[in-house]
Amino acid sequence: MTRLSSEPLTPDLVRSAAFPSARLGRRGLDETEVRAFCGWVSDGLARLLNDNIMLQEEVVRLRGRVLDRNAKPGTRPEDSHVQAVYVLSKAQQTADRCVADAQEYSREMALDARMRHDEILREAKVRASVILEEAHASATQAASVARDTGKSLTAAERQDLQAEIAYLRTFSDVCRTHLRAYMESLTQSIEQWERAEHASASAARVSVLHSSQEVLSHPLRD
Amino acid sequence: MDELRLKESFTRVAAYGDEVALFFYSHLFLSHPELRGMFPVSMTDQRDRLLKALGQIVADVSNHEALLPYLGGLGRDHRKFGTLAEHYPAVGASLLATLAHFNGMAWTEDLARDWTEAYTVIAQVMTEAAADDETRNPPWWGATVAGHERRTMDISVLKVTPDAPLSYVPGQSVAVESEARPRLWRFYSMANAPRHDGTIDFHVRAIDGGSVSAALARSVTIGSRLRLGPPVGTLRLNMASRRNVVLAAGSTGLAPLKAMIEQAADLAEPPGIHLVFGARTIEGLYDLADLEKMAAQWPWLTVTPAVSAEPEYRGETGTVADVITRRVPLADQDMYVCGSPAMVTATVKRLQSLGMPQDHIHVEDFGWSAS
Repeated sequence: MTRLSSEPLTPDLVRSAAFPSARLGRRGLDETEVRAFCGWVSDGLARLLNDNIMLQEEVVRLRGRVLDRNAKPGTRPEDSHVQAVYVLSKAQQTADRCVADAQEYSREMALDARMRHDEILREAKVRASVILEEAHASATQAASVARDTGKSLTAAERQDLQAEIAYLRTFSDVCRTHLRAYMESLTQSIEQWERAEHASASAARVSVLHSSQEVLSHPLRD
Repeated sequence: MDELRLKESFTRVAAYGDEVALFFYSHLFLSHPELRGMFPVSMTDQRDRLLKALGQIVADVSNHEALLPYLGGLGRDHRKFGTLAEHYPAVGASLLATLAHFNGMAWTEDLARDWTEAYTVIAQVMTEAAADDETRNPPWWGATVAGHERRTMDISVLKVTPDAPLSYVPGQSVAVESEARPRLWRFYSMANAPRHDGTIDFHVRAIDGGSVSAALARSVTIGSRLRLGPPVGTLRLNMASRRNVVLAAGSTGLAPLKAMIEQAADLAEPPGIHLVFGARTIEGLYDLADLEKMAAQWPWLTVTPAVSAEPEYRGETGTVADVITRRVPLADQDMYVCGSPAMVTATVKRLQSLGMPQDHIHVEDFGWSAS
């Protein structure tokens, strides 16, 4: 299923794309395969967009030539205005693509964060249920020992059992605290990440401005 | 004005697609640089909207009954962007230049006259509607965030206090702009019936890669300033109907339906209401505690949560459509559906296949902003 990035992207290939199922224990499609495919589609699209920009420039150039041929001798003031409109249009398109790229990046990051969040939660749930089961098992065992011995417990045995119960209780509390701390640190890192994203978003705004200015001197940077 | 000639010339121009709008806005900003600040940095969506609006206007140019209300709405709607009557001639000049440019050799003095005439009418209807609206409403409502509760990783419930009273009907939505993302407006439904203190709740779900929703769900804090547009939307509780009500809510699509429940609570005889509130995960049932409180207080209200992606959930599992099929008798009921476009489509399709009459099904997907 993995494709070379130079392989031409066709609508049929995208429509008929097949992904192998994920390995055992994971639901859905194989994530690596899907990501590789998306990467290939994205490369193909980027190439098409570049081609499109070049074609648009060609159209402008040819249209200009046709206008020139039809125009009466002497330059017309509106021609330079049309050129300015095209320069500004190109700057706008660059800005649009910067914003779209940033949005796409943030989408990927958020998706990734959510998947990790879900995975950590799932693991935590499994771990918690294992701990609970163990505690339950040892409680049952303690109870059956008490029943099987048939007679009332000696003071020493009772003390042992109470100590064990206290230990189990503490253990379960500690587990719960750990889990909570784990969840909190997770939330904190998500928030930190958001703050960082924020800071970079304002930086990106500045760089968008820069790139729209840059485009005046480097019309084709892609 | 030769309407056929006008339509033909627009068809010629529309064939250039996005390039037309790109040219138009560049021309406008070169001629009037002061207008650039009224628009967002990325103009991709904006260009799309311009082309759609122009297409709609040209398609209906002979159908005044459809065109006039559309233009009036457009004029009123533009007030929140800061559009003033004096902006219209600038837009007209750039529109004419764009049409002339893309018509090329086909552009004639007759065509120029047709378009000038048409635009004069468009601008007049829009400015008159805006001026009429100005006597009743502000262009937008400033509002302060008074509460921000993050319920899940993605979903927050905001409580905002508008500066001036904002009257609306439960089920309606407003466009919201945050100072964190200026010039970007997204629709959100009011999640409560109007209160005495004027506060409004919004349920916001951060869309991955979404600029406005992510800012509202995560970055906005108490004290942040928002701007709200005028209330829109036709979803509302049918008071005349004597039928009982089923509400189908997918995630934050709950908002307008919750407002309608609160509205029903003020009626002398509330109808029986059964709310099915669906989410992918248990965590996604972000407002269940509050809904259960309401159900405990009001005997006419039943709340059934539904979880679609966690089979181990002890309550109802499956999509909202599945749970309605299984649990809710549908004969002689009014149905209201709100959620993601996919959820709304799937639910309505199911209801139709179960034989529910079309005029008993009420739908809103405004509450779900795309970014």
